[in-house]
Amino acid sequence: MKKFNQYTLLMLLAGGTLASACSSDDPTPSQLTTDKYVLITLSDRVSGNKAGFISAFDELPTGTVSNSGAGSLEGQGMGGWRTHGNNIYKMFRTSDYATGIEKINVAADGTVTAGQFIASKNPTEADKYFGTGNFVIKDDNLGYYWDAAEPTKIQKFNPSTMSNIGSLDFADAINERGEDGTGINFRAIGQKFLAIKGNKLFANLTYAKNTTSQGQIGFFDDFYPDVYIAVIDLGTETHEKTIAIKNTGSIAYINENHMYDFDTNGDLYIVCQGRSAIGGQSKIVRIKANETDIDPSWELDFAGDFTDAYNGKFVGVFAKGGELILTVNTGPLTGGPNGNINSANIWKFYAVDVASKAFTEITGVPVGTNPGAAMAAVEVDGKILLRGSTVSGENGYYEYDPASHSAELLFNVNVGGAVSGFHKIEVQ
Amino acid sequence: MLTFGTTYGQTLQFTGTVQDEGGQALAGASVHIGEEVAPQITNQSGTFSFSGLTSGSYTLRVTHVGYLEYTQAITLERQKTDIAVRLVAQSTMLEDVTVTGKTETQQAREQAIRAVVVDTRAIAEQPTTLAELMNRSPGIRIRQSGGLGNIVDVSINGFQGNSVQYFRDGIPLEYLGGGYGINNVPINLLERAEVYKGVVPVSLGGDALGGAVNLVTRRHVGTMLDISYEAASFNTHIANIAAYHSNASNRWFVGVDGFYNYSDNNYKADVEVINESANPTPATVSLFHNGYRHYFLEAYAGISNRAWADELKISLARYDIDRESQHPALMTNPYGALMVYNQGWVPSLRYKKNIGGKLALDQFVSYSILNRSRVDTVGGTFDWFGNFTPHGGIGESPRRSLSDIDFDNIISRTNAAYDISETHRLEANVVFNHNRRVGEDPYGMRFNGTDIDILSRAAIYAKTIAGITWESKWLDGRLTNQLVGKFFHFRTRGINGFMANATDLDHYTSSANSNWGIGNAMKYTMGDRHLLRASFELTNRLPRENELFGDNDTRAPNFDLEPERSFNANLGYRYQTPTLALEVTGFYRKTSGMILLIPVQPPFAQYQNLDSIRGYGFDIDISYRIGQYLRLNGNATWQDNRMVDVGEGTHKWIEGTRLRNTPYFFSNVGLAGTFPSLIWQDDRLKPYIHWNFIREFYLNHIPRDQEPGGFLGLFGKAGVPVTNVVPNQHLLNAGFTYFLPAQPISVGVEIKNLADAKLYDYYKIQRPGRSFHVKINYHLTKKS
Repeated sequence: MKKFNQYTLLMLLAGGTLASACSSDDPTPSQLTTDKYVLITLSDRVSGNKAGFISAFDELPTGTVSNSGAGSLEGQGMGGWRTHGNNIYKMFRTSDYATGIEKINVAADGTVTAGQFIASKNPTEADKYFGTGNFVIKDDNLGYYWDAAEPTKIQKFNPSTMSNIGSLDFADAINERGEDGTGINFRAIGQKFLAIKGNKLFANLTYAKNTTSQGQIGFFDDFYPDVYIAVIDLGTETHEKTIAIKNTGSIAYINENHMYDFDTNGDLYIVCQGRSAIGGQSKIVRIKANETDIDPSWELDFAGDFTDAYNGKFVGVFAKGGELILTVNTGPLTGGPNGNINSANIWKFYAVDVASKAFTEITGVPVGTNPGAAMAAVEVDGKILLRGSTVSGENGYYEYDPASHSAELLFNVNVGGAVSGFHKIEVQ
Repeated sequence: MLTFGTTYGQTLQFTGTVQDEGGQALAGASVHIGEEVAPQITNQSGTFSFSGLTSGSYTLRVTHVGYLEYTQAITLERQKTDIAVRLVAQSTMLEDVTVTGKTETQQAREQAIRAVVVDTRAIAEQPTTLAELMNRSPGIRIRQSGGLGNIVDVSINGFQGNSVQYFRDGIPLEYLGGGYGINNVPINLLERAEVYKGVVPVSLGGDALGGAVNLVTRRHVGTMLDISYEAASFNTHIANIAAYHSNASNRWFVGVDGFYNYSDNNYKADVEVINESANPTPATVSLFHNGYRHYFLEAYAGISNRAWADELKISLARYDIDRESQHPALMTNPYGALMVYNQGWVPSLRYKKNIGGKLALDQFVSYSILNRSRVDTVGGTFDWFGNFTPHGGIGESPRRSLSDIDFDNIISRTNAAYDISETHRLEANVVFNHNRRVGEDPYGMRFNGTDIDILSRAAIYAKTIAGITWESKWLDGRLTNQLVGKFFHFRTRGINGFMANATDLDHYTSSANSNWGIGNAMKYTMGDRHLLRASFELTNRLPRENELFGDNDTRAPNFDLEPERSFNANLGYRYQTPTLALEVTGFYRKTSGMILLIPVQPPFAQYQNLDSIRGYGFDIDISYRIGQYLRLNGNATWQDNRMVDVGEGTHKWIEGTRLRNTPYFFSNVGLAGTFPSLIWQDDRLKPYIHWNFIREFYLNHIPRDQEPGGFLGLFGKAGVPVTNVVPNQHLLNAGFTYFLPAQPISVGVEIKNLADAKLYDYYKIQRPGRSFHVKINYHLTKKS
């Protein structure tokens, strides 16, 4: 009897172990498939270091999934991420939140690891400013990024070898305006906005009022009422001209969320958050597909086209087929420690018809928290997925139906924190 | 004791001095040299004298409560023979439960409110820091961010940061402004350190949640001089002086305590340097801007044994700390010029009086004038090799600064104890603390839309903590009970100067909060060998001034902060024989509204009430005497503190995860010996070796079902590969102290981190590797 009990116990334990190992929704390395669905979450309620997880799933997740498993990557800096082809990069190093560009490796068995890292040339100097590692990738072997240690230059890097391959100095272009001593305390190019359209690199020019003792330099502290963008010809790598977005401020951010996007026809839409962290003069502008100037005939003004007052801002844009998907605050924004901007369920999805500028609420996806550090809308397998994350517990991606302007839950994440991004890659 | 005396018909004199291990005179020691000779009792200077002896052989036997008996065969031949005897405190070997008298250190160990007593006096000759000593104690983990002089944090049952409070002789250490603390005071100046886990005695007058450290200074008698000097790796120099004199009738006294610490702290550390491709590559460099210089000097004088005062003591302390800052929060990039200064003048007054043998009064008051400054004005940056690159501008860190901040701090502590009877005692304690901050920083924050320095407007913080204890003894004294009630109150006044706020510079924000706490502790002794303790406390930790005011930089004020509130319960059992001592302690805690620094709006962060923790744990402490000369110590601590009350929502999964960035298992094993008369007669060699282990722990929350498995989670790795981990660590220290015979000199030698292991108390802040330390101690006591 005693022996029977021991064997029974062993079988029960073995059975239980097998049963727990068969949980299909855990991102456990198992199959050597080539398609991987990569999910990023921010795990911490309070950390300023963007702690979180990245996991790779063999199939498009459905139901409820955990983002923490045997093949996941745990660490810091789970923000500022962008994709190029089958590669994922982010602006912070997993091990210590250092700013730069880190490549994320996904193995065929689904194991996610932190790869090579491009740091600032002078991390001490770069630490004084925010934005080092703001980058854009042109092709497999060439990308551009900003290093705060050399603020008037744009750095070049090879995204395959993850090494700096030189820099372009645009001090002359920056200094076309603004005299020393005028109140401009910091000048830079490409700190917040880098985009490649055609063979042109568009890079914002920072003319900042802040000093190091007044908060983040270059963010919500524009000296000029207009936002300036340098247009750089990538064939000659020279400054071609400078264009301006009139009467706004704070172009993009550091591209964590899509702060600019290309429509199907190649038109580029750019978000300007406005005068302050809680808005004012926020707008979205357009550079048409074959143009290099701001389209004077079209802009989406927060106060004129969405509400009657500048009591909020646009915080991202997703463009497809002449329709923009935006998240916009449902009530006046408040900042500071107890403000609603980052902690309340106030951000609602809208579909905006580019031609008519009509706003249509997207139903089915919850009004949630700020997607500022997350991918609010992504396209995977031809599906448009909307991030729905609320303080009350909804936390996943919702599949959007453009025809009905409605969304339906695709998958929910129960472990690992607030969803931050989702992307499909093919492992080579 | 047998005595073998041989007479040769001469009359001789035999004199001597009895001292403790620290070289201090021991009054009241009983000295025997045979049945035929009347025993002597040492006087205030620790001296004794026999006369009219005949030449021959005797056996000297010296006893003193709280110390091991000392015996030595002596031969008297000359007309006068002088000898020096050093007694070893029983607490440094093993307590003998049969003694009827106990040292204060022993008494502290056996209070109803349990204290882990770190007996600094017993090993004062070792080149050891107080933090290292405390790290060898059960349930206590000291975490230090770097080398000598760097800030330390004490973790007690998972409580840390401001949840743990520090005292010096019962007075909150704030009054000494950082000039005196567990990270800098040499152990020579201390009698012991008491670490309270769980209930904190009313006499300490603190608002600690579950932990307190009381540094007990040495008490002196007669005339003495104690000097020590330590030289160590990394150009480290530590000097200490304590001098004291009282007149023969002990009616007045003067004294001075002081120390000087200096270290380049230029140990090697693993860092990263950036190559031409902008990739970080590993490098091992010597830290070049990590130095620390600190002196503390306190002179005092007083009168004693008067009709109106048992003691009235006036003190004046002065300290000055200069600290180089090598890196920001993590060892990620170097600074080469940033300096932090801290200095202060601290006059204080203490009055003690026992009235009628029933009522004991103890009043302390101090007015501290402190100044702190952070200087970051260099126009460029340094690399890890110390090379400077000018960049223009001001400051090498993100926070350029030339601050000059004054703090005025008044502390009053009143303690009164009344013996109702032999079995009942009442004790009341009130601590009042008033702090005012005002200063300037030409590069600091300004009120929004103005050029007015935030520091220029005064911020005021005051708190009152009162408590009362009823101590009673029952069952013929076998059961001791302490019932504790406490009252907490704070008020603050300042300008809510958060950058994004529409600040009204004429409008001062005030806030106040009051709370009550209650606790009970009991001790039950069973025979001579068993002791049981049980206690609980419901208490509060008031927000600190820096948490309410913020700083003049990126920490925004929050005048809405509320006290943290905590319940803790503790149970302990102690078993003791002449060769074995064993103590097992368990705890339970529930803490709500923990005050944490939370990012609010880049680059600002603010203290808010957030996390709640529930936990339990235990520690076990064993001491075993091996033969006559060796003692083996070991302890292990396991804690299971976990997040609770996270609530529904996206982060519900955090519920039940382990308290992050907090060690949950650590253990120590030590072997120490005492070998007398090794080279010369009456010399002593005391070798020791200590091993310390810390189980890996994680910087961030890890799902509970993916924590390492095995017994108590002590084995293997987490189920999810964790990047931000502080790995398993082993620290091995070994050394010896050597006492010259009949001389007031001893020498201590120690090698720390013998295996040259890479050690971290905090993520990515490396501690020193192997280092060598030599310490010379000189103790002189004037004989009467």
